[in-house]
Amino acid sequence: MSEVLGGYTLTKHFGPTTALAGVDIAIGEAEAVAIMGPSGSGKSTLLHCLAGIMKPDSGEVHLMGQRVDNLGERRRSALRRTRFGFVFQFGQLLPELPAEENVALPLMLGGVSRTQAVRQARDWFGPLGLQGMEGRRPGELSGGQAQRVAIARALVTKPAVVFADEPTGALDQSTGHDTMRLLVEATKHNGASLVVVTHDPNVAGWCDRTVEVRDGRLSGSAVPDQTFTQLLPGVQA
Amino acid sequence: MNATLSLAWRLLRGGGRRGLLGTWLTFGAVAVSTALLLFAISANLAFDARAERGAWRNPVAAKSGAVAVQATRLDYVAGRPITVVDIAALGDRAPAPPGLPRVPAPGEVWLSPALRELARELPADRLAARYPEQRGTLGEEALVHPEELVVVAGHRPDDPAMKSRDRDVAMGSVKPTRVASFAGTPTDDAIGYRILALIAGVLMVVPLLVFGGAAARLTVARRDQRLAALRLVGATPAQVAGMTVAEAMLVALAGALAGTVLYGLAAPLLTRIEIGGGPWYTADLWPPVWIVAVALAGVPVLVGLSAVAGLRRVVVSPLGVAKRETPPGLRFVRVLVLLAALIAVPVLSRQAGVAVIAGALGLAFLSLNLVGPWVVAVIGRVTAARARRPGTLLAGRRLVDDPRSAWRTVSGVALTGFVAGFLGLLSPSADLLGSPDRHQLTLAVPAGQAEKAAAEARERLAVAGVRAEVETTKGGIVAALGTGADQAVTDRARTALEGLAPGHTATTEAEDGSTSAQVLKDVGTGTVVVLAVSFLVAIASAGITAASSVLDRRQTYALLRLAGTPLEVLDRARRSETLIPLAVMGGGSIATGVLCALPFMYAAMNVRGVLTLVTCVVLGFGGVLAAGALSRPLLRSVTADPAPRPD
Repeated sequence: MSEVLGGYTLTKHFGPTTALAGVDIAIGEAEAVAIMGPSGSGKSTLLHCLAGIMKPDSGEVHLMGQRVDNLGERRRSALRRTRFGFVFQFGQLLPELPAEENVALPLMLGGVSRTQAVRQARDWFGPLGLQGMEGRRPGELSGGQAQRVAIARALVTKPAVVFADEPTGALDQSTGHDTMRLLVEATKHNGASLVVVTHDPNVAGWCDRTVEVRDGRLSGSAVPDQTFTQLLPGVQA
Repeated sequence: MNATLSLAWRLLRGGGRRGLLGTWLTFGAVAVSTALLLFAISANLAFDARAERGAWRNPVAAKSGAVAVQATRLDYVAGRPITVVDIAALGDRAPAPPGLPRVPAPGEVWLSPALRELARELPADRLAARYPEQRGTLGEEALVHPEELVVVAGHRPDDPAMKSRDRDVAMGSVKPTRVASFAGTPTDDAIGYRILALIAGVLMVVPLLVFGGAAARLTVARRDQRLAALRLVGATPAQVAGMTVAEAMLVALAGALAGTVLYGLAAPLLTRIEIGGGPWYTADLWPPVWIVAVALAGVPVLVGLSAVAGLRRVVVSPLGVAKRETPPGLRFVRVLVLLAALIAVPVLSRQAGVAVIAGALGLAFLSLNLVGPWVVAVIGRVTAARARRPGTLLAGRRLVDDPRSAWRTVSGVALTGFVAGFLGLLSPSADLLGSPDRHQLTLAVPAGQAEKAAAEARERLAVAGVRAEVETTKGGIVAALGTGADQAVTDRARTALEGLAPGHTATTEAEDGSTSAQVLKDVGTGTVVVLAVSFLVAIASAGITAASSVLDRRQTYALLRLAGTPLEVLDRARRSETLIPLAVMGGGSIATGVLCALPFMYAAMNVRGVLTLVTCVVLGFGGVLAAGALSRPLLRSVTADPAPRPD
């Protein structure tokens, strides 16, 4: 499995607090990796550094072999828009836009015409079980439906990596289960890698590999692990 | 109650940086609203005060017990009108007229301070020679405004000037009238100005109240999550409502106080706005204490009520704020309401009476306020349907989502724009009625005396060194001064002819039309003032809307930015959200006014009026943009904060 995204000896401090203390991590192609750890362990900081949201104090981040952590804010922003997709706990959909326009927005931002963007966006509704929801606004969707719209939005630009921060945190267990299954399947189907930050071992269970962050350091496998993937239930690699 | 108040105070202080920002925005909005409200009320009271002070010159005929004969006419100097009040006491029972220590004796004249000053400045043969026996200066209570030119002249009761049959009924004149007192009654012109002021007041106050109410709900919007949490831990609806009202009212009281101070500081500048040919006495624009007291008590109460309305959802259900649903669509029935009002208003207005007219106007504006949001929603739908860029799409969808918020920003400009556009282009002078003559003085003389008067006029003008051709006409004489005659020559000729026909003034055609021109000019000035106020409301409202839109969507904005959405797109959406309806409705209404005025432009364009209008519009649009841009740092700060969780 070739490496898509890698972080090397990443460190990050917030005042006297050390969030990352020299973390090394590699994400393989179409691999799903769960980052777990207790509150305050540094797992969200790791996700933010890998996704180019935050600059690490030291260390490097590489995407497809190219260094990206030293890019300026504008280029990192463009990188996030075109090469990465994001799914958050909740509140990421614009309440005024109907679901299909929320999904089409990243394409329009990338210069795709509106008609084309909406057409492409609609293609995601069927596979994600959202038929008939295209014109609904986020307030008219259930939590699970809203998360599926968010998944469609994250994948519509065909990103290399999808980052998910507690994607099922606001959902009940059964809906969370369905949402995770869709997230993992759709991401893999799309050929993208997935990085999920979670507290929940059930969520981590959907991923090929789990790394644990404690006091800014990783425990668990920092590199792609085929055997680990094969032990997991329900994943079609 | 004490516990509620102290918790409200703690909530207010401990609201965090962004909570406090909401509080500051409410404070600012209430301050601006209060200041403008005081202005709208004071302006109306000021017109009342002017009407009252000018009433004594408009005599009411005595049914019995007349103590004096009183008449009024207009004289002119340097292109400005002089109000001449002729008084003849009947016996010694006549009281002192306003601004005078006693009734002037025959031959005596009393001048207003401005006229006295002008008489001193100009050569005697232009003005001072008309008043050989100056006795003193008129007090403020006799004058409409500080720059007014007024002269009160004493006569014998048998003086020809005091005989009804010998007086003409020129514009601004009142025939000799036997009066029992000098109370008089407000002139038709003064009543007309009061009605116009009332219209202007309604135009300013309606958007203000709507905007003030919205600002009040801003405090609630910042707090609703926390108050919902209070409900969840068992606070009763009454406690939640009490806390909210207390908090909103505390802020509103502070805002109202600041607004009063703001108005106090601005009042001296506002007195310089010239209406009716002159500026204002400071006291006129100073609201009475009871008005200030009512504003200081009323504004917080209104804000409190508005806050309760905004909170209803939270009180009804602790989960009320968590869900966001599609707002119910605005129905076409709103347009039908406007049509009904458009039919009802003219019918109602036929009944005379200020209260009825004010009620009808209020009805019309409220109907427009019902239709405004509907039109905004239509604009939003069209914008969204045609949008190609994400920023425009977002702006269009937001207009559909909350058309009332955009209407609050643009309503004032949309309502005033038409009149401002219409009057801005028109030249406020008698030129509207063609090209009046400025070089020919006409003087009415009693029947059968025209020849004699013409001969004396020729003699008097020759002595004064004024070259003129004097001829008799039906009802009087005409002195043609020639096209080379300037204002000074006209004044000298008029001074020379003073007293030739007692009770009459020699005037040019242009001067006869100047009263109408003055009214038109005043309506133009008033409209610009209302337009400026509307733009101020629009600017404040745009600032509030922009900031509250950022605060309301802070999480979504932050997450969108994390996902790589450029800040400019979000910013452009916010800008378009205000600019599109402002340009379509405000700009459209001004442009319609301008188009409607084009057929009336016989003469030259009113360059000054156009410049004023353009300046007002440019400053207004610029201000709205700047107010929106003010929240850009806020947008940056809420989005630069990438999920500030330490883990």
